[in-house]
Amino acid sequence: MGRKVAFIAALFGALAMIGPAQARVEVQWWHAMSGVLGDRLNELVEKFNASQDKYTVIAVAKGNYDEVTNGVIAAYRAKRPPEMVQIAERGYMTMLLSGAVVPVQDLVEQKGYKIDFSDFIKPVASFWSYKGRMSAMPFNSSTPIFWYNKDHFQKAGFDKPADTWQELEKQLYAIKSKGVSECGTVLPGDFYWSLLENYSAINNQPYGTLANGFDGLGTEFVYNKTKVVSQVARLKKWLDDGVMQIAGQGFSPEQLFTSGRCSTFVNSTASHGNIERNATINWSATFLPHESDINPPLNSTIGGGAIWVMKGHTPERYEAVAAFLDFVAQPETQVWWHGATGYVPATNRAYALARERGYYKDHPTREIAVLQLSRGTPNENSRGFRFGNFVQTMLAQRQEVEAVFAGQKQPQQAMDDAVKRGNEILRQFEKLNAGKTPETERP
Amino acid sequence: MTLRLSIPWRDARAPVLQRKHGSAGSKAVPAAAAGSARASGRAARRDQEAGLKRANFGEGPGLPTLLLLPQLLILLFFFFIPSLRALMQSVLLSDPFGNNVQFVWFDNFKSLLASSDYRQSIAVTFWFTVMQNVLTLGSALVLAFATDRIVRGRSAYRTIILLPYAIAPAIAGILWAFLFNPAVGPLAQVLHGFGISWDPNLNPNDALILVTLAASWKHICYDYIFLVVGLLAVPVSLMEAAAVDGAGPIRRFVSIALPMLGPTIFFLTVMNFIYGFFETFAIIDAVTKGGPAGATNILVYKVFVDGFVNLDLGSSAAQSVLLMSFALICTLLQFRYFDRKVNYGV
Repeated sequence: MGRKVAFIAALFGALAMIGPAQARVEVQWWHAMSGVLGDRLNELVEKFNASQDKYTVIAVAKGNYDEVTNGVIAAYRAKRPPEMVQIAERGYMTMLLSGAVVPVQDLVEQKGYKIDFSDFIKPVASFWSYKGRMSAMPFNSSTPIFWYNKDHFQKAGFDKPADTWQELEKQLYAIKSKGVSECGTVLPGDFYWSLLENYSAINNQPYGTLANGFDGLGTEFVYNKTKVVSQVARLKKWLDDGVMQIAGQGFSPEQLFTSGRCSTFVNSTASHGNIERNATINWSATFLPHESDINPPLNSTIGGGAIWVMKGHTPERYEAVAAFLDFVAQPETQVWWHGATGYVPATNRAYALARERGYYKDHPTREIAVLQLSRGTPNENSRGFRFGNFVQTMLAQRQEVEAVFAGQKQPQQAMDDAVKRGNEILRQFEKLNAGKTPETERP
Repeated sequence: MTLRLSIPWRDARAPVLQRKHGSAGSKAVPAAAAGSARASGRAARRDQEAGLKRANFGEGPGLPTLLLLPQLLILLFFFFIPSLRALMQSVLLSDPFGNNVQFVWFDNFKSLLASSDYRQSIAVTFWFTVMQNVLTLGSALVLAFATDRIVRGRSAYRTIILLPYAIAPAIAGILWAFLFNPAVGPLAQVLHGFGISWDPNLNPNDALILVTLAASWKHICYDYIFLVVGLLAVPVSLMEAAAVDGAGPIRRFVSIALPMLGPTIFFLTVMNFIYGFFETFAIIDAVTKGGPAGATNILVYKVFVDGFVNLDLGSSAAQSVLLMSFALICTLLQFRYFDRKVNYGV
């Protein structure tokens, strides 16, 4: 709060210095970044505002992703939407087909900015684009990586975590049985993202039909017929054997890792900031494991958010929006943001720049996410996910997995039920959006 | 006289009250006579009222309307308009931005009633509200009764019991979640020490018990206030007479105080149900988020998740319409079946 006040004060101070002669065009950007990430985002906006004298972007923290989404829906319905809004990856289809947004690539090109959209890292570009055109500006892109406690592994007689789930399992059981730590790993809060969805991409398992939804709204989930079922069974086994713990409500899984209680942790690369600050342990990170019979593993997919541009504003304001988006896409901005937060640089050029400067010599773990995202050529199973109502299907799936953990259902039964429920939700989305194509008209 | 606290309640229900008086005295009288007994009851009431001073609002509906207006406006904007919108939304399938709206008749209701998820939510809500009600009322009764018997430090005792009411539900929820967290919670460690495998993150029953405890703890003070006041209304002479006759404190409580608390307990039961149905949202959100495996996904929380997280507005609206009907039916049933057994004639 204090920082926010200071920031606003600084903003007014800056405005006062410029004086009334310069009428800056103000645009709003609603976002979901809090804590350290929120501070970094404010710095980014300040950098932009200081970099030119025509436009002012006002960053407004609107709570978590759900709250931002609800906020922008309410504002849109009241015909007062912000110019820009940060929406999480799961909301892609809802936003794309909402009829309430302006495609980013169209806007930027129309305003005469030359952003090289082909330079974006593939899983990032494919996630946020429709038919090869970028619908939203990738902003905070992350991917899950494998964090581990170096000392625990050494004490148990291992150099580092194994590459495959099979070998890793042996290591975690050894760590537990040798009494090195109380638990080998901790269940991430977003395990459906890292341990089921990204697991499927990396291990080349289809998640849904029609290329995971990329080829149409008629997609259906199929993960009840893939390795996901045995993955759920594996997690259940670890849980029963005390190799994996659940942090649960009132406590964050990350704390179980940073305090040295659990030896490993699968989590977003974006937690670099937090882990660097909070960890009292000798930590490192590596790639997510893959199945022993899948070689080579494919790329992982992204999570995080992108900046969507809302319809219904004046051309002057869109000028400001385009200028800001161009600023965000600049390699310099990307490298700074990457370093400040742990999110991946969204473009190859930015990544090359960070390498050139030797950034990864001091921060080797920050390169893992980029390497993991950009390894190989993404195929149908690893390009990403295009499911409507993806939050709703995910919550149904999570509930079913929890039923496995609670011993109420067998993994196969639970995944069958999750797929059945998920498909009903997908059909509802298809019914609502039948025959609809995303907005392609120019602003 | 101290029963005045529940007087608005009594006034609203005055005709029923009179009927009770009438029929109480004519239990053995044939049905035909019962009618006249009722009539005489009404007459008696008029006589009573004649003794009261009449308020005079002058002629015409102007002033009463004006005085009613604030309340009516509040009802209009915070109840009738939202209810109407919910009713309309419940028969629509729409995208969250409202650009694409389809009229689907009762599809939202049909798919709700067909979903095992929703049926589970109904069952969870039932057990949660019943358990919460029994626990809250039971503890509040014991505490209220104890208040009567405490001589020293009574006000401190009362203040401590009232404290939870001042704590925001979300904060209370986080406290409970932390205290009973199986990994780090001190109280969970105590349970583990007794050999109880407590884990509300994994075990659905543990989770339901935890939210029930948290919700009850938060609401005990509300019931407690009413019960303390209710107990004050019990005539001391009656209690003393019973004591002289050799009735112990428990006997006096069960046979004298409890029946005289009837109307208060009845009122609190209704209020506890409404609390359980609607106001426990924040506690669920902080303690379990409806999990694990939907074990604490009570109806009002499901309305929230489907509406504001899943953005399934039609289903969420249909659920809130159903929830409102459940609450109404529940309240009406309570009046129908329990109200008869309540003795208002204190």
